[in-house]
Amino acid sequence: MKFTCNTKDIASAVGAASKVVNAHTTVPILSNVLLQSEDGRVLARATDLELTLELAFRAEVSEPGSVTVPAKLFSSYLGNLPAAQLEMSGTPTRASVKCERSNYDFHALPAEEYPPLPAAARGSHFTISAKRFRDAIDATIFAASSEEARGAVLMGTLLEVDGDAITLIATDGYRLAKHRTALDDGISGQERYIVPSRALAEVARNLGGAEKIAINALGAANNQLQLTAGDLSITVRLVDGQYPNYQQVIPAKFDRSVTVNTASLIAGLRRAELVAGDRASMVKLAIANQTLVVTASSDISGNAYEEIEIEQQGEDLTIAFNARYLIDILNHVKGPRTVMEFLGPLSPAAIRPHESEGGSEQLYVLMPLRQ
Amino acid sequence: MNFVAHFDVDAFYASVEIRDDPSLRGKPLAVAGSSRRAVVLTASYEARPYGVRSAVPLYRALEACPDLVVVPPNMAKYKAVSREIFEIFGARGLPIEGLSLDEAFVALGEMTFERACDVARAIRGDILAATQLTVSAGVASGKMVAKIASDSCKPDGLLGVAPGEEASFLAPLPVSRLWGIGPKTQAKLEAAGIVTIGDLAALDDAPLRSLLGSWSEQVRSLARGIDERPVESGRETKSISSEETFEYDVRDEAQLIALLREQAREVAEKLAREDLSAQTVGIKIKRSTFEILGRQTHLTEPTRDARRIFRAAIHCLHRAELKGAPVRLLGLRVASLVTGEPRQTGLFEVGR
Repeated sequence: MKFTCNTKDIASAVGAASKVVNAHTTVPILSNVLLQSEDGRVLARATDLELTLELAFRAEVSEPGSVTVPAKLFSSYLGNLPAAQLEMSGTPTRASVKCERSNYDFHALPAEEYPPLPAAARGSHFTISAKRFRDAIDATIFAASSEEARGAVLMGTLLEVDGDAITLIATDGYRLAKHRTALDDGISGQERYIVPSRALAEVARNLGGAEKIAINALGAANNQLQLTAGDLSITVRLVDGQYPNYQQVIPAKFDRSVTVNTASLIAGLRRAELVAGDRASMVKLAIANQTLVVTASSDISGNAYEEIEIEQQGEDLTIAFNARYLIDILNHVKGPRTVMEFLGPLSPAAIRPHESEGGSEQLYVLMPLRQ
Repeated sequence: MNFVAHFDVDAFYASVEIRDDPSLRGKPLAVAGSSRRAVVLTASYEARPYGVRSAVPLYRALEACPDLVVVPPNMAKYKAVSREIFEIFGARGLPIEGLSLDEAFVALGEMTFERACDVARAIRGDILAATQLTVSAGVASGKMVAKIASDSCKPDGLLGVAPGEEASFLAPLPVSRLWGIGPKTQAKLEAAGIVTIGDLAALDDAPLRSLLGSWSEQVRSLARGIDERPVESGRETKSISSEETFEYDVRDEAQLIALLREQAREVAEKLAREDLSAQTVGIKIKRSTFEILGRQTHLTEPTRDARRIFRAAIHCLHRAELKGAPVRLLGLRVASLVTGEPRQTGLFEVGR
């Protein structure tokens, strides 16, 4: 194997791939990144057996072939190179790099031992605009659980594909994010996939300038999903499990609502949270007379009081939230104005942008604090 | 003289089921979950001669006693009955130290021994009248003797150990009945020829110290019936736990999981009773080699939900990577307890 390429191109591809490597793996070859040179490009691939990320970069390939190099080491090395041309060659046990006056040999492991990608037995196939999919990922995955003890299902994001639309849902049991948007090419019928949220984060991070994403169900039991866009290809093992019945916890109807300037509310909550810090970050929202009063207090810090002008519909209400959860949600609301809807002080509240953007529907549900 | 009473409802879950369905009376009965891997939670006295008792896997219980009637647990009902019983414990204004749903110490205070036994008898009568359940009671000058006394007179018994009689009451019992003597220490003591509590009480300082080390004096005081630990009613709870020593080593992970499910339920009940929520969940494992292993995990929000605690415990169990190694004891513990704090409600909470 032999190729010449730009240091920046290889550094960014290997850098992205090496993020997937599990630092604690006990299988030596899984610490490595696989480089495969073919016609005019090189593919850099890394896997932790659940998630496989492959990025292509341009290269002048003089000898097609493969080599595997320790990912973290190689990525750090590439990150320290100046913008220049680089020549790389490899054998099953050695990878050599020449760049200006720097000349390195890395210990390699035979490429044949690298885990192969799953056989592309195709299940459902659909495509979506890269921008819309990135927006959907950004709007939802933050709400997934980060607590391993709660299990892989809640750490995942549910993709519901229904005809020409896709809905992403993420919840940690306290808040829920839902984003529905259109597909370019849909499917006939419905499919549901629970995707590890970190895979979607990698998709959003590495889309580059791609315009479209193609998504395929793979594997004999459709238990893997492959997402490809431009130079990027991510293959991920789906979470096996039953996603909670989220529709059942989204109230069909609310009897009170407020419309508020998103930025003013975030700013007020951020200040109040400073005071609330030591009591489950509790802020109280009192809604009356077309005004929202945010209060917080603690024995240690003192009292907070914020008045925010709102459009109020329905009866007055006082409800308490964890400020952190509410701010997290508002930071993801697309649009200058936010609508919050309520049923009562102990019922789920809905939060959404006042105007939906580009045909997408964005909805958050947050559970209150019980005082 | 100050007296302490220990009360323990006889075969609590089973007795509640028999009370509510008299057709079960006189039959060997076990309260247990329905899964193939379930363990017996409580067995009626009719089932016990077959070796059916708590923590025995249900399939084994059914092998030993094919006529065993199995009833699924109804925790909500046991909890309601427990509340009634604790109201009776508390009705005399005496300090109570609850140990579980059906077990408590009551500090009777300063009185004569006869009067102390009368009060304990009256409390037993009140519970029987209100709930139709029999409670065994032990009365003594200290907590440990009171508890051993109530264990010794089960079922439907009352046993008082008069002041001065503690040491002779304890003397014939095996050393394992003493608080703090586990199987490992018991084996060590027996190897040195110390089998009964009396043997231990008679030992001199030097040989005892060489066997038990720094806590030898404390253990010998207990063996001599000297136990001055007070009934701790309002004690601040730092952690709540439930643990079970198996009668034989367990290798089957499914059986450990089944037990954790029950322990999570029990711990959640205790949290609810004390109006607490926990943010740390941990498990304790004693291997057959007596090596003790712990794993714990921190939750994003405090909880008292049995399912949340159970899931976190399973996570800890997987992290312990037992790989089929034999386990002698399994315990579940929750800590980082909060009370009075605003509580984050959950989207998928039952009964919301």
